[in-house]
Amino acid sequence: MFKYTAKRLLYSVLILFFVMFLIYVLMYNMPSGYIETKARELASRPGATKSYAEWLADLNAQYGMNQGVVQGYFTWLKSAMTGKWGDSWSWTIPVTKEFHNTVWYSFILGLVSFIFEILIAIPLGITAAKKQYSFVDYFTTVVSMICISMPTFFLATILKYIFSVKLGWFDLSGMQGRNYMNLSQFGKFLDVAKHFVLPAITLTIINIGGLMRYTRTNMLEVLNADYIRTARAKGVPEKKVINHHAFRNTLIPLVTTLGGSLPSLFAGALITETLFSIRGIGFASYQSMIQGDIPFIMFYLAFISILTLLGNLISDLLYAVVDPRVRLS
Amino acid sequence: MASYDLNEVLKKRAAQQAKAGADAAAQGGEVDLGDVSRVKVLSPGRQVFKRFIRNRLAVFGSVVLIILFIFSFFGPILYPYGQKQIFYKYDYQNVNYALAKENTGYNGYDVDSAIEVERSVANAMNSNIKKMIETDMQEMTVVGKEGSYLIRLEIPGVYTLSSQELTPVCSVGNTQVKVGTWSMIGKTFAFDVDEIPGVAQAAASIKGASGSFEVDGQEYTFTKGAKPKTFDVFTVMDGVVYTGEEPGGEFEKTIEAAAASGESEITVDDVTYSLVKDGGNTDVYKAGASQVARVYTNYTVDTFETGLKLPDDFRASALMAAAADGSFSSDGKDYTIREEDAELVIYDADGREFAEMTPFSVRRYSGEDTMSYDLKKAITAKVQEMVASGEHTAVLNAEIPVQEENGAYSVDEEGNYILNETEMKITQRLEGEYVINCDQINYVIDMFAAPSSSHILGTDGDGFDVLARVMYGGRISLMVGFIVVIIETILGVILGGIAGYFGGWVDNLIMRMVDVFYCLPSMPIMIILGAMMDAIRLDTYLRLMVMMAALGLMGWAGVARLVRGQILSLREQEFMVATEATGIRIKDRIFKHLVPNVMPQLIVTATMGLGGVILTESTLSFLGLGVKHPLATWGTIINSVSSASAMAHYAFIWIPVGLLICFTVIAFNFVGDGLRDAYDPKAKR
Repeated sequence: MFKYTAKRLLYSVLILFFVMFLIYVLMYNMPSGYIETKARELASRPGATKSYAEWLADLNAQYGMNQGVVQGYFTWLKSAMTGKWGDSWSWTIPVTKEFHNTVWYSFILGLVSFIFEILIAIPLGITAAKKQYSFVDYFTTVVSMICISMPTFFLATILKYIFSVKLGWFDLSGMQGRNYMNLSQFGKFLDVAKHFVLPAITLTIINIGGLMRYTRTNMLEVLNADYIRTARAKGVPEKKVINHHAFRNTLIPLVTTLGGSLPSLFAGALITETLFSIRGIGFASYQSMIQGDIPFIMFYLAFISILTLLGNLISDLLYAVVDPRVRLS
Repeated sequence: MASYDLNEVLKKRAAQQAKAGADAAAQGGEVDLGDVSRVKVLSPGRQVFKRFIRNRLAVFGSVVLIILFIFSFFGPILYPYGQKQIFYKYDYQNVNYALAKENTGYNGYDVDSAIEVERSVANAMNSNIKKMIETDMQEMTVVGKEGSYLIRLEIPGVYTLSSQELTPVCSVGNTQVKVGTWSMIGKTFAFDVDEIPGVAQAAASIKGASGSFEVDGQEYTFTKGAKPKTFDVFTVMDGVVYTGEEPGGEFEKTIEAAAASGESEITVDDVTYSLVKDGGNTDVYKAGASQVARVYTNYTVDTFETGLKLPDDFRASALMAAAADGSFSSDGKDYTIREEDAELVIYDADGREFAEMTPFSVRRYSGEDTMSYDLKKAITAKVQEMVASGEHTAVLNAEIPVQEENGAYSVDEEGNYILNETEMKITQRLEGEYVINCDQINYVIDMFAAPSSSHILGTDGDGFDVLARVMYGGRISLMVGFIVVIIETILGVILGGIAGYFGGWVDNLIMRMVDVFYCLPSMPIMIILGAMMDAIRLDTYLRLMVMMAALGLMGWAGVARLVRGQILSLREQEFMVATEATGIRIKDRIFKHLVPNVMPQLIVTATMGLGGVILTESTLSFLGLGVKHPLATWGTIINSVSSASAMAHYAFIWIPVGLLICFTVIAFNFVGDGLRDAYDPKAKR
């Protein structure tokens, strides 16, 4: 087990190395003058803390943009490994600080929708599987398909249109109400929570479909298994068959995938956060991307690559933990 | 070897049996249980088709897709509107229609364009005239750099500017005078002035480009002359230097005193001299005969015929005539001008009123003279009434012409203006300046028109027909989907096939590449690419291609993984052993024997992938980082109304388009699901 983990970890690091290399090459090949223009723009901004030459020198020191691709990559890798991620161009504070400021909002948003997702999708998926080809099954299939096929921006716009414009229950976007500053501590919390409702609903609906389908497919597979037939043949009550024999076995793939998606809770929801102006990491990175904020972009891309690899690793390990039949080698 | 097609044989037999059965039935016999006609054998393709048809959701999806394809690819052919066609409509607009004001400025018109008037003099005309009005002067002499001018009041409001001939008399002060020219070749000195003794001798010793020498205490300077080997010799004379003949008498004393005190005009012995400062010297000129160069007036011409453009020389001759006997001709036609009630009325040769000149002008707000005479008069009257009663606003009912897109007035078939009735509001803005605004029917871009019979989904913010854009957008969205999926599939099949077939280090290498590409965050990368392409302002079509290539390049990993997995299991089967035994080329073994066996799964993933690509493309376009305006895709159409207010007011644009995206993706997913179930019934659960 330990050996396997170590091997997988090393392997992930290798993949990360190449992923970051590809991303670095992309950044390195930015159209000529783009970086210079951005740096000049930054230096001429009101309240700029660094001059044009300083921004460029910073960039070269950290990213080795003035060297060859391979050499430059190692320069960047060295500074990244020692934790020097530099100052964000669009937020004009250290990248890691901006990360700290934003990541927790993303995490809370992700966690809330993750919990709701599980609470809604798994029971529905199981019900659909139990009564295959019934109305509930068709309904679930169609609903999950709609959820999968819904573009995030369209769903968000519809929700805004109904709940903000027509009903006026929520603000269109943003994280704080107009009189946020006059509220008590608890009132502030409630205010922010209220602004998180629509984004959370959006995220839940977008993700619910896939999980529902997955649950249904796995439950059906389990229900077709021999041991279920045996249990039924032996006269075990249907309730017990479903809840004890079938459900527990369905949990195996579910736990592995859900465990694997845990790291992505930190990744932030790029589109949703941007549409609702939630100052999470997704929103911050979107702003950075369209403004050509190279330090933050590199950090964010490295961050989500790590999260993806971590997710894969966790789900593989969990698979072995949950299902003793699986031997790791 | 004779071929034996089971299907054909069975079909033939079934036909025979059916005939026999029908005969038997006709004779009252029954079909036997063992009859071949009871057993139907279907080809694999037909079996798949049959299973697919049974799946209601898949059929629904296929129907939606077929309708969508017809809609997007044939719709634009039949639909009368293009994707970039702008629509207009006539609509009321509250505009600043006209400006009425008392003319305070004086405009000049050339009477004799041959006489050049100095710019500084022309520019100072307005202030000079104002000065004349203030001090009640009839005439005023202005001296410019090059000449002297006379401004004369002809009749109230009309001033003429005459140029006076000037003869230089003398110059006072430190005057530099050219003494003569020394030629080195002929060793001669040609004097320009009276011969000065000693100068010629002194000049013989000149050397160099320039310098000076002294004769009798008088300093002479020389410079190289116009001809080679010649020198111009100058000296500075004090006092008055005459250019022509001397007036004599008291003149010299008076003129020196005047030059010292800086006067600009002086009269000596009934002759007026003007003094112009030029460096340290003062040049004195004698004024000669004057000639009218320009005429200035604060009158504006209102012709009776609407919008008639009169040349400037018409105005000039009319004004000159008004000051003289009143008759003039312009463009070969004779006119007379008369003063009536503080207005100058111009009659043509037949004695009909042709135009009117008043110091009160009513013009369109843009300054154009396109209003009808009656309307001008009505506004003038209303303004006078308003001023008389001490009000600052007034209302006037009038009819004004409908205006076209380019500002021209609309006319009907007979050439008459199409008029619309409106209520004009006259408001005083400044002393003697009035703004008239009203609702005018203008030809404007039909923005955000609600759905109607002519625009089924309305129009968007650019006046484009939304339905047309949805059709063209569908083309691009679907095309992007197909091209990206084709790129993905080709890359995936080639790399996956090679990896699966060869195994070993090739497999290892390719699969590690797959891992890397799997891990690559595609959405952020697409956003960064979009921002970069924004920065370098890439052409819309080019960025569409870049986007498709990038999406395809990042999506092949899944296909490769699938193909490799399938090939790994297929590789061990008997038919592959057979291909090896018969010595088929490796390329053919992979792409002719292995890949076709992976086809079902490939088709399923490609169909599902299409939906995903369309989603990605629309999201990017919605963010403004994909396909750009004016090219339409479904994402850009929604993007155009994504601002909070547009979203709230123009739901008729984005809701149908959003639903369309949903339907397309759902349909692709349903069809993909249906295909998978149909290909592999065992997998169906």
